[in-house]
Amino acid sequence: MTFNSVPYLCFVALAAALFWVLPARFRRTFILVASLGFYATWGLLFVWLPLLVAAIVYLVGRRITAEPGRQKQWARLGISSVLLLLVVFKYRVFLFSVIAGLGIGKGSHSLSLAASIALPMGISFYTFEAIGYLIDLRQGRVKLPGYLDLCLFFLFWPNILSGPIVRARELMPQLTFRKPFEPRFCFEGLDRIIWGLMQKNVIANMLGIWVDRGFDAGSNAIPSTLDGWFLAVAFGLQIYFDFAAYTNLAIGAARLIGVTLPENFRQPYHAATPPDFWNRWHMTLSRWIRDYLFFPLNARWAGSPLLLYLSLVGVMALVGLWHGAGWGFIVWGTLHGAYLVVYRVYESWKAARPSLNNSRLAAACWRALTLVAVTVAWVPFRAPTLHKAGLILSSMFYRCAGGRAYGGGFYVFTAAIILLCVIEAGVIRRLGELEDRAGAGGPSPFRIVVRPIAYAFGLLLFLLFDEHNAQFIYSQF
Amino acid sequence: MMPDSSTIRTAAREAASEIVGRPVKEGWRLVTSGLIDSLSVLKLIGLLERRLGITIPPETLQPEDFDDVDLIVETVERVAKPHA
Repeated sequence: MTFNSVPYLCFVALAAALFWVLPARFRRTFILVASLGFYATWGLLFVWLPLLVAAIVYLVGRRITAEPGRQKQWARLGISSVLLLLVVFKYRVFLFSVIAGLGIGKGSHSLSLAASIALPMGISFYTFEAIGYLIDLRQGRVKLPGYLDLCLFFLFWPNILSGPIVRARELMPQLTFRKPFEPRFCFEGLDRIIWGLMQKNVIANMLGIWVDRGFDAGSNAIPSTLDGWFLAVAFGLQIYFDFAAYTNLAIGAARLIGVTLPENFRQPYHAATPPDFWNRWHMTLSRWIRDYLFFPLNARWAGSPLLLYLSLVGVMALVGLWHGAGWGFIVWGTLHGAYLVVYRVYESWKAARPSLNNSRLAAACWRALTLVAVTVAWVPFRAPTLHKAGLILSSMFYRCAGGRAYGGGFYVFTAAIILLCVIEAGVIRRLGELEDRAGAGGPSPFRIVVRPIAYAFGLLLFLLFDEHNAQFIYSQF
Repeated sequence: MMPDSSTIRTAAREAASEIVGRPVKEGWRLVTSGLIDSLSVLKLIGLLERRLGITIPPETLQPEDFDDVDLIVETVERVAKPHA
């Protein structure tokens, strides 16, 4: 059941209505059962997997709390166990192909056997949540709850498939569901759900039609320079609106039952520098990487610029690999690591030149460079092969050719979405101000008239564009 | 000997201001607002260690433990040890 489908919307409406009708003491059990049911719609075969991850975390967690002297060893065992599950279910094909490429092992037989097992949905996300939980437990930031509480934490349906990646300490206290019903939960939830549906069906899926054609693996044609750049930009917009749509639908569904999930995006293409991009793009993944990988690593290596730069590139390559088992993702992550290193070197150089601190020219250059660099990195991320990525990148930079392979609609639509990105934050802020002025506390004409009309219009657009429906990009990670 | 709370608070405010490049006020969110990144947090830890004569073991900490002046004081009081 994908988030942008009518059956899912019926499921959410029914689940939210039943949740508030049920006596408070039954709500946790109800959401656990509903979450299990939702996960089972993606295939009964893997329902046991998040339950197993919860069991590992629970059993290891008990040892961590019982044996303070051996916390480190138990935490390592727990983390290795859930990582092993991730490697087996997500990276085995990639590993076998690398081994086969090196001429070791049984090659194609092992590869086809490995490829015959499907990828369990959401495994990358709940594995990271499990690792974060074990580290937080070891650091004394969370307490060990019961096994069913952990199951609910990992299975919570709004965020199990593609995040946001939550910390136990921000979600678990909310999963007691003690809040009484407030009408604003409905408005806030529906706002996010309707906007998410439009972002996915009207923007991301439409861009996807052109992007899929341009990145087609079967074609070895080199696009024109204009098409190369438009394709890279269009994919950057597609993946942003696709993932932001998913996030809005997740946050909206949780909000309907009074739960607040963390935000994942803050206008990423407005980033002023490469580090700023990672403060705005997939913020819960950035936070996880920072807290559980980058900070502890650099705390150990403090003072060595070379180790810092190596860790930046290495950690970002791992971030790429987390997205998918393929070289394109690793190149994407490594490029971002390189951007962060370049910016860090610039910062060190700038420290000796205070005049650059307030230079508008330098700031404008970094803003433009960041946007171009991020766009370039999307090419290997999306291209089916590195060869195809090379063809598109060559058309963008040195094989300058004229002409265009698409109708005017592609260029106009992409330009319109760029404009939307420019004004998106301003529009949302203005709508918030309008609502505040109309009386945010109680019933107002804005709530009674404007909102239902906007919801109906949004749903209509969602249904009109439903014929081009496609899976969320991040649900494949 | 561990410094007292007001000494830690003064040192925390001064160190944070030095890292941010302007005077930091009480309640300002340093990490979650993006004012400083995780590497700056490590610099902040180094400054606090030197100024207060303490050791802060960073491996059990997270950047958000240094998110504002109050949290810095609380974190230092919780985990820091005086120099041997």
